[in-house]
Amino acid sequence: MIAVAVLAAAAIALPLVVANRFAIDIAIRVLLFAFIGVAWNLMGGYAKQLSLGHAAYFGLGAYTSTILLIRFDVSPWLGMLAGGVVAMLASLPIGALCFRLRGPYFAIATIATAQVMMLLFLKFRDFAWGAEGTTIPNLGDDPLMMQFDGKAAYYYIALALLAVGLFITHRIERSWMGYYLVAVGEDEDAAEAIGVNALRIKRQIYMISAFLTALAGTFYVQYIYFIDPNTAFSFNISVEAALVSIVGGIGTLWGPVLGTVLLETLSAFLQSWLGSGLGGVQLTVYSLILMAVILWRPAGLIGFVSDAWKRLAPAPAAPVEARDG
Amino acid sequence: MLVTLAQAVINGLLIGGIYALVSIGVTLIFGVVKIVNFAQGEFVMIGMYLSFFLATRLGVDPLASLLLTMPALFVIGMLVQHFLIRRVLALGDMPQIFLTFALSLLLMNVVLLLFSANYRTVQTHYTEAALHLGSLYVSVAKLIAFAVAMALSAVLWVFLRATDLGKAMRAAAQNRDVAMLMGINPDRVFAVAVGVALALAGAAGSLLMPFYPAYPLVGQVFVLMAFVAVVLGTLGNVTGALIASLMMGVAESLGIQFVGADSGLIVVFLMLLATLAFRPNGLFGGWTR
Amino acid sequence: MAEALVVRNLSKRFGGLRAVQDLSFAVAEGETVALIGPNGAGKTTSFHLITGYHRADAGSIIAFGRELAGVRPYDICAHGLARTFQVARPFGKMTVLANVMTGALLRDRRLAAARAKAQEAIDFVGLALKAETPARDLTTIDQRRLELARALATDPQVLLLDEIGAGLTDEEAAELVRTIRELRRQRVAIVWIEHIVHVLVQVVERLVAMDSGRVIAEGDPEAVMRNAAVIDAYLGTAV
Repeated sequence: MIAVAVLAAAAIALPLVVANRFAIDIAIRVLLFAFIGVAWNLMGGYAKQLSLGHAAYFGLGAYTSTILLIRFDVSPWLGMLAGGVVAMLASLPIGALCFRLRGPYFAIATIATAQVMMLLFLKFRDFAWGAEGTTIPNLGDDPLMMQFDGKAAYYYIALALLAVGLFITHRIERSWMGYYLVAVGEDEDAAEAIGVNALRIKRQIYMISAFLTALAGTFYVQYIYFIDPNTAFSFNISVEAALVSIVGGIGTLWGPVLGTVLLETLSAFLQSWLGSGLGGVQLTVYSLILMAVILWRPAGLIGFVSDAWKRLAPAPAAPVEARDG
Repeated sequence: MLVTLAQAVINGLLIGGIYALVSIGVTLIFGVVKIVNFAQGEFVMIGMYLSFFLATRLGVDPLASLLLTMPALFVIGMLVQHFLIRRVLALGDMPQIFLTFALSLLLMNVVLLLFSANYRTVQTHYTEAALHLGSLYVSVAKLIAFAVAMALSAVLWVFLRATDLGKAMRAAAQNRDVAMLMGINPDRVFAVAVGVALALAGAAGSLLMPFYPAYPLVGQVFVLMAFVAVVLGTLGNVTGALIASLMMGVAESLGIQFVGADSGLIVVFLMLLATLAFRPNGLFGGWTR
Repeated sequence: MAEALVVRNLSKRFGGLRAVQDLSFAVAEGETVALIGPNGAGKTTSFHLITGYHRADAGSIIAFGRELAGVRPYDICAHGLARTFQVARPFGKMTVLANVMTGALLRDRRLAAARAKAQEAIDFVGLALKAETPARDLTTIDQRRLELARALATDPQVLLLDEIGAGLTDEEAAELVRTIRELRRQRVAIVWIEHIVHVLVQVVERLVAMDSGRVIAEGDPEAVMRNAAVIDAYLGTAV
């Protein structure tokens, strides 16, 4: 708990101490993608439903709030919630179809879903601007419309989102749902034999995961003032959501955060070192790291952190997690 | 009108042959090794680049380069199985999915780094050639591709049924433990299965070169088709993958002809949806619960 | 005594294989019945059918007056039928306690209550010392104990045990018999697939013998064991 408090204090203090805009930008990216990773982790880490199509919900969130903003002058704060609800509702039919498949075929079905979403939005010029996308009007400093001068405010919103995501994960982890999720993830049939309605649990966690991912989508649009289908439903987002959790520690609370910190800072280094000229470098490095983790530490790198931590300060384990040997 | 329909069907069948090579590879690996190879499309891509360089540097015709790409990819397949796949077999879904997925990302991006995103094409003397059957137009390059694809599939079929190694593969696919008890070395069988699957992917690549451009992401197009065909044809069923691939090729072609040029993906998705909704175990699928 | 479980004309085929044909038997409340037969007789398949793991082609399964054919496994468990698998299926990532708590959560979602009930079940099967051990680190026998504890945590009135006695030492077998006897005392109806007959006869009241998907003999254990058809099924007929 002390560690968390220290981390939180440091996180809150960061924008006050760091003035470099580039650094703050990286920090915001880290917070945002950690949040997306945390949202993915609920589904993919605990329940082992490995989705590679979470960008579908990211995009739905982004487009919902943008459409409401530009067409109906609705504040993005409300738009964010609306986007979450839209994503939640979308996750129901998508889940109904995709949950018929297990394992890798579930993953493929989710990829297809996000692709189709992208295609639909590429075609819908009437209410969604098609392939060119749109910018959102720059209203200057307008907190009620989620626009701010300077980056600090965005930083704190992203931090708040991450905090919410971590809090929700923490609560679920230690509730009956946490047990059921891990049971379904470990052995769905054995779980059903002891009374777990696997399909219902999967549906429920999918809704939560979709909702949170959509919030990230809205934030992203508000931050970069632009949206188009290729960005909003980008496969890279789906990949990163899964990647940070796997590299950091799949099915753990802090795994996605650790993974994002590692990968995003590495990516920032690569960019400043090599410039953005060399396409493919980032993903090459990411895929090598992913392969290395899977071959040598499939439980994720958080194992190193928690081993070190245990030596310093032994604490009771979360009920659902057994320590790796 | 009927001519348009027939033309679309023919075009669909021809490309379906290529899809078949890719999807048979996927279903073979899934059936025997019980793992989904997300990188199958990237091995097609590698086959294409290999053929491209053999053609432009050494003047080897892409069809002839089959003799080189297939063995090369067979060896690569065995290496991939031995050094990568074998390590995650006991680990469960997540590592298995993301290993081949990472491999796919790696291959795509390394090729992108090395050779840039430029489209690479090979012009052969038969690239533009076509047979004219009445008012129907059949591309020679595609026809050859289809014929070779069917021939390879037939050879594979015979291999699986008539040779000891093939039977060992089928046995390992059905029941690994019993197969081991009967003296079948699973590692060897898996290595051959992956090798064969990747050789088929390489073949697809060579066959595609005369009429299709190579670029780093080209595999993605084929792999999505292949996956849907594998599900539709029932997981692990080689004949099913073949038939389903031909169906998908025709469906895609009809979609492009009668709905719109970029409707291919929608058609694929609709077919996946329909399969999931009505026959989740595939057309030739086993027992439902 | 009320009928806890009534299976009538249950049938299931897989492709060309008739795994279970016209299976009928009944278990009374608190009765312990053993299901015996050579491998491939359809014993485990009938468990799969009774617990909803597979859908029967025909027949009915009635537990405490409710038709269970076509019902999903989790509802069947909620209705009071629990099973163990022939090869134990623990949630490897979780501790023993967490595994059993997952079962206990069926009846009461409050964690404290679930923990208490889980602790009871763990003590009952003799795993108290290993409550915090990750399930994947357990021995095979302990995993079976865990399987039983987890099933018991769902408060079953009918318990289906699948070869839970396989490979036990004499001491372990004696402990198993004591456990079963205690369950019987608690009025849990038990259907037990088993091969180790010398253990069975100590605690089982009735034997149902299967072969090729059908019931071939039923009744008093001694009589069934001496039944010609049963002996044939195990040893085969000379050609």
